[in-house]
Amino acid sequence: MNKDDFVKYFQNLSLHKDNVISKEAIELVMQYYSDYKKEKLPVIWLETNDSGDNNISFMNTTYPYLDRVFTEMIDLLYSNTFMAAQGKDALDILNNTAKYYAGKFTLVVEGAIPIKDQGLYNVIAVTEQQPLTALKVVTWLGGLAKYVVAIGTCASFGGPSGARPNLTGSMGVKDVLKRQVVNVSGCPVNPDWFVGTLAHLILYGMPDLDELGRPKLFYGFTIHRHCQRRSYFDRNQFALKLGDIECMFSLGCMGPRTGADCPYRLWVNHVNWPVKANTPCIGCTNADFPDGSTPFFTPMPEKSPQE
Amino acid sequence: MQKRIIFSPVTRLSGLLSIEVFLDRNRVVDANVSSTMFRGFEWIMRNRNITDAVYLTQRVCGICSLAHGAVAGYLVDAIYDNDINENAQYLRNIMLGADFLQNHIRHFYLFSIPDFVKMPERPPFLGQNLADARLNERDNEALVRHYFDSIKASQESHQILSLFGGKAPHQHSFVHGGVSVPVTSDNVNQALALIQSIKEFIISRMIPDTQLISRTYNDYYNIGVTPGRLLSFGLFKFGLKNQNNLWPAGVLEDGDLLGPKLELISEDISHSWFVKGDDGNAYEEQIKPNPYKPGAYTWVKSVKYDGKSFQGGPLARMILLGRYRGGTSTMDRIYARSLEAFYISQLMEEWLYKLKPGPAPINQKTEPVVTEAAAITDAMKGPLLHRTQIENEQIEKYNIITPTMWNFSPKDDSGQLGPAEDALIGTVIPKPNMLFAVLGRIVRSFDPCLSCATHVIDCSGNVIGELKI
Repeated sequence: MNKDDFVKYFQNLSLHKDNVISKEAIELVMQYYSDYKKEKLPVIWLETNDSGDNNISFMNTTYPYLDRVFTEMIDLLYSNTFMAAQGKDALDILNNTAKYYAGKFTLVVEGAIPIKDQGLYNVIAVTEQQPLTALKVVTWLGGLAKYVVAIGTCASFGGPSGARPNLTGSMGVKDVLKRQVVNVSGCPVNPDWFVGTLAHLILYGMPDLDELGRPKLFYGFTIHRHCQRRSYFDRNQFALKLGDIECMFSLGCMGPRTGADCPYRLWVNHVNWPVKANTPCIGCTNADFPDGSTPFFTPMPEKSPQE
Repeated sequence: MQKRIIFSPVTRLSGLLSIEVFLDRNRVVDANVSSTMFRGFEWIMRNRNITDAVYLTQRVCGICSLAHGAVAGYLVDAIYDNDINENAQYLRNIMLGADFLQNHIRHFYLFSIPDFVKMPERPPFLGQNLADARLNERDNEALVRHYFDSIKASQESHQILSLFGGKAPHQHSFVHGGVSVPVTSDNVNQALALIQSIKEFIISRMIPDTQLISRTYNDYYNIGVTPGRLLSFGLFKFGLKNQNNLWPAGVLEDGDLLGPKLELISEDISHSWFVKGDDGNAYEEQIKPNPYKPGAYTWVKSVKYDGKSFQGGPLARMILLGRYRGGTSTMDRIYARSLEAFYISQLMEEWLYKLKPGPAPINQKTEPVVTEAAAITDAMKGPLLHRTQIENEQIEKYNIITPTMWNFSPKDDSGQLGPAEDALIGTVIPKPNMLFAVLGRIVRSFDPCLSCATHVIDCSGNVIGELKI
């Protein structure tokens, strides 16, 4: 209802007696409230094969801080890291959440999924009947979730967990599930990218994704494009050693082929990023990280990733 | 008649942990502690440049990333014979200290507090099943508030690390040869403001809260007791060659203190999902993962010092340092961690004042002087070792022994228990509904980190001399 309709509606109501205005008004306001107040996102968060750095980075979120994310944005129903419940009580919550919130919950996966040897390299929990492998649980929940969000480079693309020789056959969530997955890559993820993605899902639904399934608003431009040291690159002034203030391309910087907004965004309450610390970007958001980035300090054209 | 119970998942820790316990009436008579994730980082390290080690091994662990970065830094320093100048020494220790504070604050509040405090009935605290909540309403309310206050204090710890290190976790500036950022008044001043705020939190919240928990649950001074064998690899390195530990390395057994000798470390895979095999590598026998191995129950190997299991972590360090006198129980481990956080916050402030303004304190030499090296330090959770063999600066072999391998060792071939299993066995469960609460408190007091634990090492053939205490 627009403003003019609203005024007209209440002008007509004012002819009635018996406080009918307030009754009608309350109903309208309640209707407005339920239409526009965004519901918290019910979330199941699975930790699979990674270092746990993404949940730590998530705890570093500021504005909102973690407590506000919990109270205002998400209902974190299952999370190995945070949940108070443990043992069978935790698994019961997982089962019930999957049942009651089927089609509604967001599945956050932190880590790669090992598929070799029936996925036995990552077991989320053990029951009397069977080991619940990450492969099994992610496949099960991936089919029930409204959104699937892969947090970090391991979950997005395999990352360090899937680095050569990849004994465990670890791969990204999107390679295991036959459905759309929002990849929020980074090693670790910047908390703004992850919390910003959740905010997008809550406020506006699915964000625009790049060809790697990542929200364009964070990964749409290269590090190189926005780097504070771009002027050095353009004038061929390159760092000779770590600690120098010139362009880090000479020391292996992956900025020219790494999509991320670190130069603008910065890390941990927005205070710093690797190039500002006089070191190269190592391309941690890339699909081929770390194999495409090592040796880290060798210039990009001379890097020779081994198979 | 024994009853088998599976405690899985053990939540509120880093990585994935399951425990199988056997109960005789209400007493735990056996326990198998199981790490259920494997990534094979030591294979990942092979055939890469040794200078990749600092950044890449940080990816072993998210909550203790700089412990791996630091020890890899010392390792690569040894390979190139780098000289570490004084500003770099202080900066490195400030950064490492910041990561310790982050770990300790997060462990105590986010992971451990829900073992003792009734949390609000909303996510992520649903189904808490605390079973024996003992705090009065006012204290309980205060500790819930402090749980949320701690979020900022631990974030500020990582902000210090990021101020100097570029980002956290997985910082960038602490590399071999020193630290790549200059010392400037603005950074020092910002870090001072942050550490003073963190220290205030530790003094006014964390220490009193720990004391309150330890008084209210003082029976946990008799629960989860381990044999008094404690191990530390030392912490906070100083000196041009990283040769001095501010906090001593030591092996404490029956009141005798010795310097650790790395050649006395041995390992066993009887109950781990590994089999011996030959991968065609020119080196000695290699071990391979096999999740189908009968009789195995964990991805952690059994590691022993002089044939015996040892416990590491803040309790070992505080006792070796003479700052804590007490036992080796659940509550001793919790108490020592908070105490250590206080001492580290104090040291960090001191070190920040010792920094002198100047250019980036880094000098990376480029010619390796050795092809084999080992480096040790204590990490947040206990002793940490990295060891490598290189050829033409390429890693041929990279070995990691993490704190979790000490604390969460499975049984060895003779049935000898690791510290966590030892702590669980003999525990009496007062009421059936308290099983998870009691076991959870015991096992979390070790600050378990299973993402770290996914490693294999073959120690044979490498002899390293006695380390300086």
